[in-house]
Amino acid sequence: MSSALKVGDRLPDWSLPITPTLVVSTAIATRDFQDVHHDRDIAQAAGSKDIFVNILTSTALCERYVTDWAGPDVQIRGIAIRLGAPAYPYDTFTFTGEVTEVEDGVATIKVVGAVSLGDHVIGTVKVAA
Amino acid sequence: MSAPVEPQQLVDPAVHEKVMAEAERIKAWGEAAERYARDEVNQPTINNWLEAMGVDNPRFKAGEAPPSMAQVWTMYGLGGRPSEDDPLHAMMRALTDAGFTAVLGTNCEQAYDRYLTVGEQLRVTTALDSVVGPKATGMGVGYFVTSRNTWYVGDERVATMLFRVLKFIPKGDS
Repeated sequence: MSSALKVGDRLPDWSLPITPTLVVSTAIATRDFQDVHHDRDIAQAAGSKDIFVNILTSTALCERYVTDWAGPDVQIRGIAIRLGAPAYPYDTFTFTGEVTEVEDGVATIKVVGAVSLGDHVIGTVKVAA
Repeated sequence: MSAPVEPQQLVDPAVHEKVMAEAERIKAWGEAAERYARDEVNQPTINNWLEAMGVDNPRFKAGEAPPSMAQVWTMYGLGGRPSEDDPLHAMMRALTDAGFTAVLGTNCEQAYDRYLTVGEQLRVTTALDSVVGPKATGMGVGYFVTSRNTWYVGDERVATMLFRVLKFIPKGDS
């Protein structure tokens, strides 16, 4: 399907509940053992509302969102993200995306992962088109 | 828009000068702190990632690794610490010592030359790319520190990452 990507194509919205298990399991699966991603007491003592999703997972979820849409054979060239509001347990991610450029065999997809506090991640995913 | 604020209005000029001198010193190290991944790219670690992320892609059961896992292979692990000659670590310490104690990740830009395959041994280098500031942000006054990681298999570059953090004095803390 990736050969048919065109500017303006929209990805279907994707909703993902943020459970404590999601936050902890993804932090550990990305080998990120910073305590603010698995220990609520420490996270709160550091001024955070709760544990929060780590950056490697924000990137990975952008990868998953685009791959789920484009298909398993898509070749991802890069993922660039800007981080905003923290993603805490008991919130929900809502991902939206749109193809913004197709040039020289590379499609650029703008992806936004929002939580109730605002945009958690604003990114561009580049794939072979 | 208000007029640009001169650096000396945000940070003591002597402190600013010291921060920028340290940045230049560390940038000159180039790609430094080379280290190897603890493990080769391997299926069990990929499987843990697939389960946690909710990904079910046959490619990642047949020898390929998800591209954004590039960074995962060279994470320090539980209790691991950056070496003293790590450029990002050195710059963070310099800013902490100058009073910019808090840190917030702001940008992460990964580029993949290709997907990795099971059995490959990764190594990574770290370079200090830029230190920009001081800036008055919603979080407080601070510097944006950008580092660049480069991953290799043998001599072949396989992935790169620009990682930017804001190192700042929390508002109300100064």
